Order: sequence, then C-alpha cells, then structure tokens
Amino acid sequence: MSLIIEVQQVTKKYGDKTALNKVEFSLEKGAPVALVGPNGAGKTTLFSLLCGYIQPSSGKINILGHTPGHSALFGRLAALPQDAQLDPRFSIAMQLNFYARLQGMSNKLAKRDTVRVLEMVALTDAANSRPSELSHGMRKRATIAQALLGSPEIVMLDEATAGLDPANAKEIRAIVTEQSNDVNFILSSHDLSELERLCDQVLYLENGHLKQHQTSGDDEKTRFITLRMKQEHPQIIAMILKMPGVSQVNMTQDREYLLTIMKEQDKANIEMSLLSLLQKNNWSYAQLINGKTLENQLF
Amino acid sequence: MNINLSRLSIIIRFEVERLFKTKRGLLALLAFATIWFIILYYFVGSASAIVSSPSFEGMAQQLFGTLGLTALLDWPVAEYAMYWLVAVYFFPSFALLVCSDQFCSDKHRGTLRFITLRATRAELIVGRYLGQLLIMAILILMTSIATTVLAIMRDLTLLAPSLQIGAKLTLELVIVAMPFIALMTLLNTLVNSARLAVVAATLIFALGPLSIAFINYQFGQSFYLNMLLPGEQISSILSQNNMATSQYILPLVQTLFLLIASHLMMKRASL
Repeated sequence: MSLIIEVQQVTKKYGDKTALNKVEFSLEKGAPVALVGPNGAGKTTLFSLLCGYIQPSSGKINILGHTPGHSALFGRLAALPQDAQLDPRFSIAMQLNFYARLQGMSNKLAKRDTVRVLEMVALTDAANSRPSELSHGMRKRATIAQALLGSPEIVMLDEATAGLDPANAKEIRAIVTEQSNDVNFILSSHDLSELERLCDQVLYLENGHLKQHQTSGDDEKTRFITLRMKQEHPQIIAMILKMPGVSQVNMTQDREYLLTIMKEQDKANIEMSLLSLLQKNNWSYAQLINGKTLENQLF
Repeated sequence: MNINLSRLSIIIRFEVERLFKTKRGLLALLAFATIWFIILYYFVGSASAIVSSPSFEGMAQQLFGTLGLTALLDWPVAEYAMYWLVAVYFFPSFALLVCSDQFCSDKHRGTLRFITLRATRAELIVGRYLGQLLIMAILILMTSIATTVLAIMRDLTLLAPSLQIGAKLTLELVIVAMPFIALMTLLNTLVNSARLAVVAATLIFALGPLSIAFINYQFGQSFYLNMLLPGEQISSILSQNNMATSQYILPLVQTLFLLIASHLMMKRASL
C-alpha cells in the first residue's frame, strides 16, 4: 500500500481561533475516506489546506510526495471545494474545456473529456448553458464534473451531494463507487448513511482535533449488529438478551437497537437466530446492519 | 516564480476570449467603439483640420506653444497630434476601468479554487496581466488604425508617415498603460470586487499626490515618492520633445515592481 496523503502535526489558526489543532494522519491508496464532523469542526479548513488554498500555521502536509499547491499535483489532485462556483459569464463546456487544457490536454482531447464528464453528471444538454441559467443542483453537478476531468489520483469532494435531489445524489454516489477502484476519494458530508455506504475509513474532526481514525466499530473481542424495527416492542430487549452470544442490547434511538456480540461465544449464527426470533414473534424489522452505524460510532 | 509557458498562453487566450466572446465583453467593446467614434470624428478629425488650416495656424501655434507641445505641430500627420493628446490620458484611465476585474470576482466566487488546482498563482497573476495588456494593445492598435484611416481620407500621401507614427505611438501608449494595468493587478489581490478596486485606484490617484506633497513639505526634501505613481512620466512625454528611452524605463520598472508585489501578495493569500 502506498501513502497518498501524510499530514503531520498540522495547526491552522485564524487570529486567536484555532481551526485545526495538531492534526496528524496518513491515508493510503484504497477505498473512499470520509471526513466527518459537526459544523465548524475544521473540515473545510482541512480540505482547503490539502488543496493548497490556505497555508498551515505549523506542521507539514505531503500529497503524493509534494506540498499542496505544487504544480506536480495539477491533474493528479482534483477537488470540489464547498461553495466554489464557476464563472457565470462563460458556458459550462467552455470552462471545463479551459480547465482540461490547463491540465495539459490538447484542445481535441479537452473537448472529448468535457463531453465525457458532463455525461457522467447528466448535464450533456446543458453544456452550452451559462451557470447563471442553471438550477442550484445543476450548477453543483457542473462543479463535480470539473473534479472528474482527466484521470485524477485523488478527488476531494466537500459536501458533494448537499442540495442535490435524491436521484442526482444517487447518481453521484454511483460515480464515486464506480471510480473508487482507480481514484482515491475523500468525501465530506453531513449525510452519515451516505458516507457509511461509500467509505471504509473515517476521519472524525471535532473542535479542530482529529478524534478518531478508524474503519469500523468492531474490536478484537466484540462485534456489533444494529437492528432497526418497524414498530416498537417493549419486550424485545429482554428477548434478544436471552440469545447466546449477545452480551448487551442498547436502544440507540427510537426502534433502533445495538447488539454487542462476544466473538468467543459467537459460535452459532446470531443473525439467523435473531431473524428466527423476529419471525416467531411476528415482529417486522426495517433494517439489519452488520456492525455499528457510523452515527453510533461517532456520536 | 513557477511559470509554465503553455499554461500561461492558455490563461492569456481565455482572457482575450472573455472580451470577445462574452456579452459583457462585447458591450464594453461597443461602449469603447462609441466613445472613440466621437473622439475621432469630432476631435481628431476637426482638430487636425484646424491645425492644418493657415488661418488658425497662428492661434494653434500659440495654444500648443503655451502647453509646450509645439513639437506636435511639426508632425506630418496632424491627426496623430490630436490622437496622442487624447489617447495618452484616455488609455491609462480606461485601463483602470477595463482591467479592474482581473481575478477579484473569481476570488470572491471561489472560481480561483478550480483554477489554482491546475495553474500556479504566479501563472495566474502573469497570465491575467498579459491577457489584459494584450486586450489594451488590441484596442490601442484599433484606434491607431482608425486615426490612420482618417488621415488618409484627407490626404492619401499620408499613408506611409501615418503608419510610421501610428506604430510608434501604439507602442508608446501600450508602455504608458502597462503600470496602470499592473496597479489593478495588485489591487485585485487586495479587494474582492471590481468596484472596490476602482475606488481604491481613484483614492490612490487623488490622495497619492497630496500625501507625497505633504511628506515632501514636512521633511523639506523630495524622496522621489512620485516615482511610485503610475503615469508620473506622462507630463514629460506629452510634448514628444526629446523623447528619451529613459522616459519609458520608469513605467516598465513600475510594472515589474507592481507585478512582483502582486505575486508576493497572492502567494500568501487565502483563496
């Protein structure tokens, strides 16, 4: 596995306010990485530092062997910065063509690649429209298209699906899944179920500190199952606790239960026993998740 | 400065396209053409007729002499004398307006974030500057050609001297405009809108000479601070008397100084 991003003791201060405090992590080539945290946690600051838009107050950042903003990263690192907009005076195709040529493509290749990325985000018909003529969602998709130009090795998407309708958000998620074998995605979003679906690794930021850097809620001794029921059944916790291997059942939110399973005693297939229990009692479940939900891991 | 010539030329080309391919650019061109039609038709054309008329020669001699501009009367193409007097003040002021949005609105909108993932900040500064300079050069050349057309409409034999003077004045006007465009480049690194950039430039030219006069008065000696202001040399080159190369060194040095300052500001700027 090769290292694509290395962040060492990075601090970013805006006056007296510390946006990021001695953040340290490294990312290897692989599945998409989620960047999560409450508002004002420093996600966008971290994105901006990685893209070279701002300089760290202290610490070092290394991306594909170079400092952020280095010309060697042009075309290799792409990003959708939050709130960044295309120039309203030029057509989308013209701007994407300009960006593609800056990435080193010939005019012919740039035109072809512009068509390709616009197709990916379902904006072929709007190619010659100016951003001001498009809806918010279409403008967002156009900015996602610019991040897919060429063949970037790292793509950072800050709140890519925010403001998109469900169909288009699904389309963007499909693009991420499709491309994730060739491209290293770093995604930030407030939609935890979306990140859960796409990412194996999570960077959790809170008050400028990197709190967690993990891939799943499981550990050596225990594993987890999350059960979501359609209706509330008062006796369900007691019944599940009687099952062999289940050491604890917590109600994490309304009609949602987190089962802690001792791996040593997990000889029988707990999931099968659980489904049998639900069927026997005629209880309908909504969802059965192997492990903790990202929401339960973080909050 | 990390500059790749291929990326630089792409940025320059895109800047020129901004003028000729966008609605706003074409409207600006239309306004420019209208203003210059008036200048050429009513001032350059009529004034040259006055200058070349024997009955008004004495009066013109007096007027131009008072202004120290007698050398202009010796020009074989009278149209260019008037053209020079108007253009040498028009183009620097026009540059302040036309070049007021080199990248400040892109910075405000976040568009620069897309560009700086594909081009260095130095390329952006120099590319946008050269793009604006090229636009100004095209506009200056167009007005100069129009003046030549006016002159040969009056007398066809003036074609050769018109082309000669026209080429020389075009080059001189481009050099005069250079530091004004570079000043707007620097102001673009500091402010977030074209309007603010124009306001800042107006304040510099309104308060700058006053401040310099005040400093000179307070300390009782000249610190040559006026050399910092673009256009300082215009009054000395206006008469076209003893045109020395040194008079063009100042705008070139000012341009270089302003562009280096812009680069340093941009290098540290948060986008």
